Amino acid sequence: MTCAPNATESLDSFSDRLRVATRILKHFGLIATLVALAAYSFIQLASLAGAPIRSDGYSYYVYLPSWFLYHDTTLQSVADDCCGGTFPAFTSIVRWPETGRWVDPHPIGVAILMTPFFTAAHVLTRWSNLPPDGFSLYYQSGAGLAGLSMFVAGLLFLRALLSRYFSDGVVLATLTTIALGTNAFHYGTYDSTFSHAFSFCLIAALLDVTDRWWKRPAWLTTLWLSVVAALIFLTRHPNVLFLSVVPLWNPAGLWNRRGSLSVIAAVTVACVTPQLILYKQATHRWWVSVYGQLGHFDFRSPHIWGVLFGVQKGLFFWSPVLLFAAAGAFVDHPLARRLRGAALLAFTLDTYLIASWSDWQFGGSFGHRGFTDGLPLAAVFLAVFFDWVARRRRAVWPMAASMTALVALSCAQMVQYWIGVLPIANTTWPQYRDLFLRFR
Amino acid sequence: MTMARVRWLIGTIVVVAVTGVAWYLRDPPWVAAVTSGMRDWEVDASGTRYRWTAGHASFFVPSAASEMTLPIRAVFPSTDGGPVVVRFAVDNRSVATVALNNTAEWSRAVVPLGRETGRRHYRRVDVRVSRVVGFYNLGVQVGEPTLR
Repeated sequence: MTCAPNATESLDSFSDRLRVATRILKHFGLIATLVALAAYSFIQLASLAGAPIRSDGYSYYVYLPSWFLYHDTTLQSVADDCCGGTFPAFTSIVRWPETGRWVDPHPIGVAILMTPFFTAAHVLTRWSNLPPDGFSLYYQSGAGLAGLSMFVAGLLFLRALLSRYFSDGVVLATLTTIALGTNAFHYGTYDSTFSHAFSFCLIAALLDVTDRWWKRPAWLTTLWLSVVAALIFLTRHPNVLFLSVVPLWNPAGLWNRRGSLSVIAAVTVACVTPQLILYKQATHRWWVSVYGQLGHFDFRSPHIWGVLFGVQKGLFFWSPVLLFAAAGAFVDHPLARRLRGAALLAFTLDTYLIASWSDWQFGGSFGHRGFTDGLPLAAVFLAVFFDWVARRRRAVWPMAASMTALVALSCAQMVQYWIGVLPIANTTWPQYRDLFLRFR
Repeated sequence: MTMARVRWLIGTIVVVAVTGVAWYLRDPPWVAAVTSGMRDWEVDASGTRYRWTAGHASFFVPSAASEMTLPIRAVFPSTDGGPVVVRFAVDNRSVATVALNNTAEWSRAVVPLGRETGRRHYRRVDVRVSRVVGFYNLGVQVGEPTLR
């Protein structure tokens, strides 16, 4: 919240402040990269987490060694090499009962986005004579750094979008708050091979490109929008909800853009076809829900309170700065008007889906990782709120102090999670109170 | 200094740095401590140090060694009742296959490493196990190798 002066400040000092914000914002990518790299190195060197390719990260990544090292789209070769012909239970990769083929519950989007990092890792692996099996040192680092890069790229897409609507001070405050006041930083560093950093980046890219496409539908922008839409689906299927941003941005203008929209639909379908072919190859069906074998939905008794406010994993309990994003949804601003409908739709349906899933905590996580993907949308409303506050001089410093305290609390709790003080799930209120700001 | 000279200087520094890093990574000294597909060291009731492999594990031995003796124990049998088969390869060259019939006892696998080839200081040993067990993808237990 360095954007606005309090009542006693002179105009000169306010300008100085803005110049500082502008300078920091200009180098925000470099600063974010260095901070994230420092945290990532600390996590790895202190062995706070296991190897980067683990848990969900394994099943998102496993396509790469299978495709590029074994030239096998069935995953069987990886199972043969790593695991005596089968996959361990933690991978959630299951044999489809009717065909006996392996089906991965996680789609191919993360693997596609990791490909450049995988390629570099493979070349280095060959060069250093490390095991070229897809899971040795450089592959692990490549996969981990891929997620970190996506997190930073997501922040840069957000910067591009927000800079078109808000002052540098508001943009800087928003980026810092969304990165450190939520679990976005955690999923860009500690659990960076999970899909969340990738979806965070893609949804930020979607917001940026949608804004540009509605302003001017150049063919390159249309193509980029199609690819981003396809990657969102390929990274996490339920995130197609966020594609509602495109039509709801300007419903009245849809008919005039029908030509471009047809191109977007066609390119998107073409890009997602490989995933459908994989499903068909493994199950003889074009569409399957592998998660059906790992849990179930109970739409009659969703844990709405639990996923939003509960101590266990409540979104607003663990990331209270997002309450201000919710407040921003009620502020009148051109960008808020464009996104309010889509945000409401995506957030409502996403919350209902997450809260209805049998494991509504989504296993072990810092905060609720089911909502990490949509944080770029929350960032927009946070910026709207900050912009509103910046116009009310008396509110600026109290708000800046509150926001700093909440971001600091989130960072402290993230470190508690990293060092194993906070439980990975099922946290109770007495436990939380007992462990509050304890680091051993 | 002109801008052109600064660019030339930066370009030179980058080329030298990349070449230096590439040369260093060709045969890095720390590779001796690199393992893949292996869990942490443990000690069994008899005091033997061992570590579990996964289905595929790798480690490095000095290039000068011509033979390796490796304590090895399956612990869990194969699902088909047959022996647990462990295959060894050195720098991608298959060198030995060991069948573990008595899963409870330590065996000593003698693995010929062959003559030193190439200029690297370490050679990579790959261990592949015919079956894995449980959530942790356990292969076989291996002790500390003796090199000759």
